[in-house]
Amino acid sequence: MIEFKDAAVVAPDSGVPILEPTSLTLTEDRISIIGANGGGKSTFARLINGLVTPVSGSVEVDGLDTVKRGADVRRKVGYLFTDASAQLIMPTAIEDVMLSLRRVIRKRGEREKAALDALREIGLASKADVSVNALSGGQRQLLALAGVLATTPSILVADEPTTLLDLRWRAHVGALLRSLPLQVIEVTHDLDAASRADRTLVIDLGEVVFDGDPKEAIRLYRDLMFGRASQGATA
Amino acid sequence: MISLFGLYRRRRTPMHLAPAWFKVLLMLGLSVACLIISEPVTSIGITAACLLLLASTLPPAKATLKGMSLIIVIAALTTLFQVWRGDYIRALDLAGDLISIAALALAIASSTSMEEMLDFVSTMAQPLRWILPPDTIGVMVALTLRALPEAARIMVEARIAARARGMDRSLRAVLVPSATRSVGFALQLGQALHARGIAETGRRRKDVLPSPPREREKVPMAPPPVREPEAPAVPVKESRRERRRRLEAEAAAGAHEPGPEPALPSFDEVVTGAIPIVTEASHGGAPEQDEATDASSPETTRWGRLSPARRSRRDRKD
Repeated sequence: MIEFKDAAVVAPDSGVPILEPTSLTLTEDRISIIGANGGGKSTFARLINGLVTPVSGSVEVDGLDTVKRGADVRRKVGYLFTDASAQLIMPTAIEDVMLSLRRVIRKRGEREKAALDALREIGLASKADVSVNALSGGQRQLLALAGVLATTPSILVADEPTTLLDLRWRAHVGALLRSLPLQVIEVTHDLDAASRADRTLVIDLGEVVFDGDPKEAIRLYRDLMFGRASQGATA
Repeated sequence: MISLFGLYRRRRTPMHLAPAWFKVLLMLGLSVACLIISEPVTSIGITAACLLLLASTLPPAKATLKGMSLIIVIAALTTLFQVWRGDYIRALDLAGDLISIAALALAIASSTSMEEMLDFVSTMAQPLRWILPPDTIGVMVALTLRALPEAARIMVEARIAARARGMDRSLRAVLVPSATRSVGFALQLGQALHARGIAETGRRRKDVLPSPPREREKVPMAPPPVREPEAPAVPVKESRRERRRRLEAEAAAGAHEPGPEPALPSFDEVVTGAIPIVTEASHGGAPEQDEATDASSPETTRWGRLSPARRSRRDRKD
């Protein structure tokens, strides 16, 4: 369970609010977050993992404060970035997954076996020894996901995981995310993916303007976008 | 440039099975021996041993040759210089030393995984654990190696961008974006490390229990999309003689019965519009050609694209 208690974020230099004080509880299995660019979606997602800390209020994951117990929270919450390239550190696929497992499994042999299993589950076992630079964008995203899932988190926060992928990979990664037996919070611009969630948040100008049914959320999001576009055109 | 990337392959050669500390010790020992021993025969012997050791790890040929080429060139230049000075013994010794050390480094790179190296560095860093966690030092080494090709890629992209903006000779147009992008990459990498909890201090606390997995209906997953390489219709490398034989055989079999060549219309016929323009849309049985086509857009004919200039000439003649 993720709980936001009046959590607010401001820009460190200018003091401009990035996320207004927000209070909500996230318990559903599939939650999607949609909204305009620069609206505060990624900041909201990063709050869950403790990558961003609130200036006021707090965020708790299963009762653990993301500021006070950051390391423990990150063991529970996996985070998937838009650009997987920045997430991959080691030269080959298997070594990268093994790096994730270092803090969990100390023996190298067991670590290698667990990493291979993680790659096999995600369909990348044949690419275990391939250089990460030789993988396609979709394969890199899968590898990043394998690295996250290998540590068996209970929550996965995915920040636009399919934005840089082509249609086939988008469908594949989307189906994979839907099949995971854990709570998935996905920030997305893909309205099809957003509509399949149990609950959707619309974040606009640093504020959660809607929280509820995905179809309603998408309708509101469209209104917000096109209303703003027409206002911009008339101005 | 000798690169640690792309050389390692999982194999079961003696070098692969040897522990990392042994390989590093071997490297240090042989390097010192190369520097101390100046006898040419022994130097050549050590060089041969190192090259055999490299070959025994079964490294990828192309990457290995690329890695060795620069050292061989440097060794050749050094040898030439020493020969010019008349010091033949030193020429042989220096060349042997350079090639030996490079071959040994490549042998270690091709037989040691980064993970093994990380473990080795972490173990070696144990005495410093009061200052920095040993794993952090290991990750620092891995990150340094990871950052090198990335920095090179950023520089190349910045140079291309500068060229695209017509600033070929501006050093500033390359260095400023390279520096800012490198910092951006470092920040992204730092965030990713933080998000993955890598090298984070502290053990798992006992009061934090892992959550039980949620019950979820298993969705049957299709294998990841992989583009299968299409088999070429004809051999890729076909000599002229082979091609002639193939065509003759096909002609004999009646596969390529030469039909009557369609008479091509003259250029004037095309320009004056005597021949109807066949657009791409109408060619595929799609709706008829749009009469009100934009004059600026080139029309596609059977013979290529009709430029706006030729089209206006055609219209004038009409």
